[in-house]
Amino acid sequence: MTLALLLLALGTFLLRFLPWRGEKSLKTGQAGPALVVALFLVSAFSPPPSSEWVRAALALLGTYLGLRLTGNLGVAVFLGAGLYGLLGALGF
Amino acid sequence: MGEGLRAAWPIALGYFPVAVAFGALGAQAGLGYLWIQLTSLLVFAGASQFALVGLLAQGVPPLLAASLGLLLNLRHAFYGPALRPYLKGGPLEAFFLTDEVFALALRTLPGLSSEKRRGYFLGLGLGAYLSWNLGTALGALGAKGLLAWPRLGEALSFALPALFLLLALPHLRNPVALLAGGVALGFHLLGQTAWGLFLAGVVGLLWKEPWKGRKA
Repeated sequence: MTLALLLLALGTFLLRFLPWRGEKSLKTGQAGPALVVALFLVSAFSPPPSSEWVRAALALLGTYLGLRLTGNLGVAVFLGAGLYGLLGALGF
Repeated sequence: MGEGLRAAWPIALGYFPVAVAFGALGAQAGLGYLWIQLTSLLVFAGASQFALVGLLAQGVPPLLAASLGLLLNLRHAFYGPALRPYLKGGPLEAFFLTDEVFALALRTLPGLSSEKRRGYFLGLGLGAYLSWNLGTALGALGAKGLLAWPRLGEALSFALPALFLLLALPHLRNPVALLAGGVALGFHLLGQTAWGLFLAGVVGLLWKEPWKGRKA
């Protein structure tokens, strides 16, 4: 079992490290923006589609408005998370 | 490094409850505290850690469980090359390269001077790492009740989608990013999240020409 843990740790490290090291520039096209948008969508919307998506969408709207009002990323995240919890408490 | 540590707090906020849940899951599966903590200390990749512990608890052979965990992390291979224009990757930087650290670094590194970037990135990674490991320790030692306060656990765990939204905002008019996001979401809805994220990276990678927004 410990061998499995070490294999996962080493493999994960190499997946992160090897493509990043070295001098030769690797063309990544739009991989960065593509992955950021993909990570957002899969983290915000759990399958299957349900009323939970409405709650998530409202909390995301609150997060966005929080950013527009405060200009602070951390505060906006905190507001969004708080709104998500509040909506849950209200039965959404 | 201090600036990066301070910037890491939205990530730390989101990591903490997930890490508590991971620690608690490991303890429920009968794994020893030291083993659970070592997983977070050495792997530092949430989804694959959950997969490893869940599969081991179901009696899946350890090496197969580790291999499946690695498959979940394939997408990480895209992160370093995407950051390379701003920061050259060393072993320590690579160790800290989680989804959230990558996304926040991609947004902030271009705006920093080249001397500041490494320290900022390491601060970002360290803040995330400390939160992840503190949460793991508390969960494994039985502090799951911390999150029993009404709605606290689920509210905190929403910090990560909220953070990803803000990091994705500048890219939401990029058709390549939207296409890749659509692919990832489609696979996610079919229960194949890891493959969807990997394919999203492939879609972005294959698009060689940088997309430029229409000028007014």
